[in-house]
Amino acid sequence: MFSRTTRTKRALALGALAASAALVLSACSGGVAGGGSTDSGDGPIKFGMLAPFSGSEAAFGDYMKFGAQLAIDEVNADGGVNGRDLELVTEDDGCDATASVAAANKLVSAGVQGSVGGYCSGATLPTLPIFSEAGIPMVIPAANSTKLVGQGAFMINGTGTQQGAAAVAYATKLGAKSIVVIDDTTDYSVDLANQFAEQAGDLNVSKRESVNPDEKDFSANINSVLGASPDFVFWTGYYQAGGLLINQLRTAGYDGPVLVGDGSVDAQLAAIAGPDAIENVTGTFTRTPDMLEGGDAWVEAYKGVSGGAEPGPYSMQTYEAVKVLAEAMNEAGSTDYEAVTAALKGLKNFPLLSGDLTFASDGSREGGGFVIVEPTGDGGAFVLKDDLS
Amino acid sequence: MFQLIWNGLFVGSFYALVALGYSMVYGIIKLLNFAHGDLYMLGSFLAFVVLGGFTGLFGLGSIPILLLVLLITMLLTGGIGVLIERVAYRPLRSSPRLAALITAVGVSFTLEYAVRQIFGASPLVFPIRLQGAPIEVLGARITMPQLILMLVAAVLMFLLQRYIMHSREGRAMRAIALDQKASLLMGVNVNRVISRTFFIGSALAGAAGVMAAAYYGTIDFLMGFVIGLKAFTAAVIGGIGNLYGAMLGGLVLGLLESFGTHFLGGQWRDVFAFGFLILFLVFKPTGILGERVVERV
Amino acid sequence: MAHKIQRLPAPKPTIERPPAVSGILAPERFMKMLALVLFVGATVLPFITATPYIISILTTAMIYIVLAMGLNVVVGYAGLLDLGYIAFMAVGAYTSGILTTQFGLSMLETIPFVVLACIVAGVIIGGPTLRLRSDYLAIVTLGFGEIIRITANNLKVTGGPSGIHGIPTWSFFGWSFSDGLDIAGIHFGPKILFYYFVLFVGIGLAVVGVSRLGKGKLGRAWKSVRDDEDVSEAMGINGYKTKLMAYIIGAIWGGFAGTLMAGHLSAISPNSFEFLYSALVLMAVVLGGMGSTPGVIIGALFVSLAPELLREFSEWRFLLFGVLLVVAMIFRPKGIWPANAVLPFLKKRTIPEVPPTDVIGVVGLDDELAELPSEARDLRDTRDEKGEGQ
Repeated sequence: MFSRTTRTKRALALGALAASAALVLSACSGGVAGGGSTDSGDGPIKFGMLAPFSGSEAAFGDYMKFGAQLAIDEVNADGGVNGRDLELVTEDDGCDATASVAAANKLVSAGVQGSVGGYCSGATLPTLPIFSEAGIPMVIPAANSTKLVGQGAFMINGTGTQQGAAAVAYATKLGAKSIVVIDDTTDYSVDLANQFAEQAGDLNVSKRESVNPDEKDFSANINSVLGASPDFVFWTGYYQAGGLLINQLRTAGYDGPVLVGDGSVDAQLAAIAGPDAIENVTGTFTRTPDMLEGGDAWVEAYKGVSGGAEPGPYSMQTYEAVKVLAEAMNEAGSTDYEAVTAALKGLKNFPLLSGDLTFASDGSREGGGFVIVEPTGDGGAFVLKDDLS
Repeated sequence: MFQLIWNGLFVGSFYALVALGYSMVYGIIKLLNFAHGDLYMLGSFLAFVVLGGFTGLFGLGSIPILLLVLLITMLLTGGIGVLIERVAYRPLRSSPRLAALITAVGVSFTLEYAVRQIFGASPLVFPIRLQGAPIEVLGARITMPQLILMLVAAVLMFLLQRYIMHSREGRAMRAIALDQKASLLMGVNVNRVISRTFFIGSALAGAAGVMAAAYYGTIDFLMGFVIGLKAFTAAVIGGIGNLYGAMLGGLVLGLLESFGTHFLGGQWRDVFAFGFLILFLVFKPTGILGERVVERV
Repeated sequence: MAHKIQRLPAPKPTIERPPAVSGILAPERFMKMLALVLFVGATVLPFITATPYIISILTTAMIYIVLAMGLNVVVGYAGLLDLGYIAFMAVGAYTSGILTTQFGLSMLETIPFVVLACIVAGVIIGGPTLRLRSDYLAIVTLGFGEIIRITANNLKVTGGPSGIHGIPTWSFFGWSFSDGLDIAGIHFGPKILFYYFVLFVGIGLAVVGVSRLGKGKLGRAWKSVRDDEDVSEAMGINGYKTKLMAYIIGAIWGGFAGTLMAGHLSAISPNSFEFLYSALVLMAVVLGGMGSTPGVIIGALFVSLAPELLREFSEWRFLLFGVLLVVAMIFRPKGIWPANAVLPFLKKRTIPEVPPTDVIGVVGLDDELAELPSEARDLRDTRDEKGEGQ
């Protein structure tokens, strides 16, 4: 096919390309030899935040963004960190592993010095090595799978272990004799169910059940749940399927207590389950501003940033993540990874809205701050019932 | 035990209603209408909109209003089914089967994500919810709404059976299923009959959607995906293209799932159902009632 | 045995064949040059800009090309609709993920197991269904995709719903990408090395391998089975075996893409293998052009990069893709870049006027042709134009 002359031509073309490549290489510093993000030492310190702004969890992205922005505004008003202002850079991870890896790399490329994002555990997990390799300390506000623990990141939200412990404490308090734990096969839900079962101790977990959250008919599952004649049901999944499940449980004749995990603590739960079925339902949750003394002032400040929108789940946790990271950088006196990590580990009883914060050696939050809430507020909103103390 | 059977039959009657439309369309133009499950979803959303208007006019919903809404929704989804056939499938009727299948996937995506863009991704709470105290029959809990819904499903299936087996248009449908060209030569208006098939199949899916929405209480844009797959499985188990087969397949699949969940655990429910689909295709590809089908070239 | 078969001389062509086109604008040569330029461009790119973000999304895009080329064998060449293709990627990713994290194998050593697992999966799913009507396969593959995902979600060995994390990058006989490499004073980090690995090995195997497979004996058998199974069986091709081969080869490619993805992301979880992703890869193949190498590459790049370039777009993409699929099938069933497309500015062979022959034509031939599927019609129209745009 190729004659001798074309072969020469091809060689020439290759040579020309190689030459131009060499030229480009010598001219540019942004290439292979450059790379990596180094702190220039002046200008604002950038905090990166990965959160879902698209997809089914899109609403949480805004809740987290405004919470982080409020904290950054407050820190800047107090003179910033080490004399430098903070700046928030957000990226959409769409709650998807592939997209979150791209987004995390984008943040690294943008030169962020700290990460204060992470909502979906599955999407946060693959970003951990990216941030740690780039020397960026990570404080995760929302994602709380136990798999995240001990990998160098710090977690504001209580882990499944701590939430499981809170649920066990509550079940013990109610004197439950036969407990059924139901999960929805998602990462967070199974994790929580496992943690509950492991810590149950003397409590009798008579049945574990899993439902497919894409379906609407759980009658077959409920049949086996009722076969264990439970007096306490712990649902660890999200509210969409949770509402249906509670409704069908009630129709099938179960009227005992139902405890739900924080994925189901949402006003929609009552709407989906229906007014009769929601009776005797409680949830485990970390404190939200409206449960706190002085929380109203915080909500007002939040509305000033968000343009009037109410704070949602994890607004406050993201706010706290920024505050914690800024404090650690202040104490370390730099944005250096080792120094900031050491400062984060050294925080003792740092005062936050949700209670004092100390990180355990594995990066999770000591105590976790879980309380029991019930959906008796306006329109099914959850309000504090028992602080388990 | 009886509870398991009852649950299976109840879920199975939904599968059967959706499977009927699947099976009819497949029997007549050999098209696997991938978007069929999404018409079920569309039915529930249309009923949601229509009910919104109704409750504004007549106050709170009740069973008669729900039946009226059911009728309106069936007409609307039927019309949309005809429209889909006209716009997307008819131009491709003589194309290779791959093209038609891909179009069907495209239609399915279009319906799902158009609804998502309009109504959002979170589930909506349906304004009417059928609730009732359970009655104990032979140790199984049966509620009034369940009985009513199964009765409606049975009536719809009975009417369809009368229509296809005993009416002139039904005979035309069966003729096209046997040989499209020959029926064209015998004076059957093929296009009109195919449109009518789509109308009936889509209306049944829409009816199932409304009933499911009223019974379970929430609707979301992906609710048709799983049931579409299950309905296809039901149609294959019963024998695709066969009217009685679709009904029987739906009930059998419902029972299989009910027992499978009981003995294997809920997380394996779908694996169980699809595993059965593959097993049936290996050992009895014609289904329980189907006849041997020769691939048309 | 000594008897030699007397061969008949070939009949003289009725028309003079036009001379082959030559020069840089000859379609085949032009496409090769274009491919070379793009390849060199991709090689040089990390020297121009090497931000982790660019490298990361380009690596992902290239893995999508590998994946789409694999599906192209199944859908484009053999004409089988696979709606659960991502399941093979899951098989590959999980096989290498489990073997590296739990059995301490290196990525390279897992490849034979990945291939074996994909062959087994391909035979299990293709074996029974390929004997049946072609459209059963579509739903069965969809069901299979769900079975794989749910199974991965339920088992302990696959890490349950949170999947596997800490998967190491590729290493070869003790040397790993994570060690980095210094050549002529330039330091190549692990991500850049992986980028080059995917570019040279992944893209090389996928693009060159698949397009050459498509031109070879097996590839021609696939295409003939796709166009008319009965006729090709009459020609001595075993339709079932041919389709099963396509299915297995597609499965191996998908599994290979899976191991690449596992190495790239370092963590995998079941919800990366939902039906949506199968549909996305299918869209890349269909919109780009079934059976067309440049088309599939364009499709894969579009599908993987569009949501990165247009953030707003990611909300709308599935609706847009759905509409595009319908529109494309009706108005442009062969995709953006059809398999036998020739760019308009390239030289074409001129087709001489066919002299009238004394063969009596078949009455109504043209009417019958109109009934043929459009692909067959197009084949007839272009059969005289040599040079496929591959």
